[in-house]
Amino acid sequence: MMVFLESPQGDEIKEVEATAESLAPLLSKGWRQVPAPAKHEAVVPAPKEGT
Amino acid sequence: MANVSELMNGWGFGKQTAIGTPNVTATIWRHTNLNTKPWAKVPVNEDDRAEIGKGHEFPTQLFKSHYNMPAYEISKYASSEFLAWLMAFSLGNVVLSGTGPYTYIIVPALGATNPTGLELPYFSFVQQIRPGGSAILDEILVGCAIKGWKLSIKNSPGRASATCSVECVTTGQYTAPSGITLPAAITPHEFNGGMVTALTFNGINYLAGGSAKQFLSMEASWENNFRPGFFPGSGTQDGYQIQGRFEWGDRVFAVQFVVRVQAGSTEYANLINQTTGTATFTMTRDANNSLSMVVQKMGFAVVELGNTDGIVTLQITGVQLYDATNGLLTVTVVTPQNGIAQ
Repeated sequence: MMVFLESPQGDEIKEVEATAESLAPLLSKGWRQVPAPAKHEAVVPAPKEGT
Repeated sequence: MANVSELMNGWGFGKQTAIGTPNVTATIWRHTNLNTKPWAKVPVNEDDRAEIGKGHEFPTQLFKSHYNMPAYEISKYASSEFLAWLMAFSLGNVVLSGTGPYTYIIVPALGATNPTGLELPYFSFVQQIRPGGSAILDEILVGCAIKGWKLSIKNSPGRASATCSVECVTTGQYTAPSGITLPAAITPHEFNGGMVTALTFNGINYLAGGSAKQFLSMEASWENNFRPGFFPGSGTQDGYQIQGRFEWGDRVFAVQFVVRVQAGSTEYANLINQTTGTATFTMTRDANNSLSMVVQKMGFAVVELGNTDGIVTLQITGVQLYDATNGLLTVTVVTPQNGIAQ
């Protein structure tokens, strides 16, 4: 399971494994959970010629 | 008239959106409480006895002063739901993951980086006796926060072997009637002392090996030492001033435990050598309900020889040091309850 954390300055978002070992060093420095960033729109393949 | 056993308590498992905005019904749960008292509201009046010019020293008039709300204790057997709630609301930096069960990884927030500064999440507290048209008590206290908690693990059978009490404060703002229909009381997934699955303090494993039968009891506690929240613009209720914030002061995390003495006990050596190490305490009920507390760097401040029920024991007071990499404390709670402090 992965979660998203935002830096204390709000200038960086990291995807981090949701384990105490992975999160403790970041949370103790002020990183906080944020919702997953909006995904890019799926690229729709162009129609083939002649169809 | 009503017996106090009719008293129903509910409070926000989700956080309020602001200190003065109560929880909505959907984010309130109902629990039983070992504390049999209701949360008293204490408006304070003052008078003019100190003012001269009246022709005598006696008071002649009353004035509304403030709501002096006493701290209130919620006392319960330890459960995954209640522990997740109290840790999240008292420590402040919470990461929620999972789709059921839910995992909460919680550390103490830092004032320098916490989005709400020195303030923790707020919740509302509902107390009701026969709510409805002729309610004896029906009110929602708004802007409550956790001042501190105590987790006790004892050398006894049953639920009483793992208990926790939470001290709450509130601003003085309330609404009566509450307008809340409390849900049925939840059935929490409770722990007992037999469910301790990890117990290693400062390099000494009290569950396996030579020290496996030494451990008797422990108490861990947290205190936020809130500063008074009266300030210009803090607000009023019924014409009385109320508090408009609870900011933590010098927070205190304490751990004490008692072990039986045996030949080769290493607690004294750890004290004298100033040995430090992690302290891990885990209770596991099943795959959906567990608590793990990791004190990232513990030393021993006091190791005192004593007697507990006729057995020679050591009472050990830990010093919880702030680790440069991992901080002070990391709590992981797995529980079926979603949305705590969200």
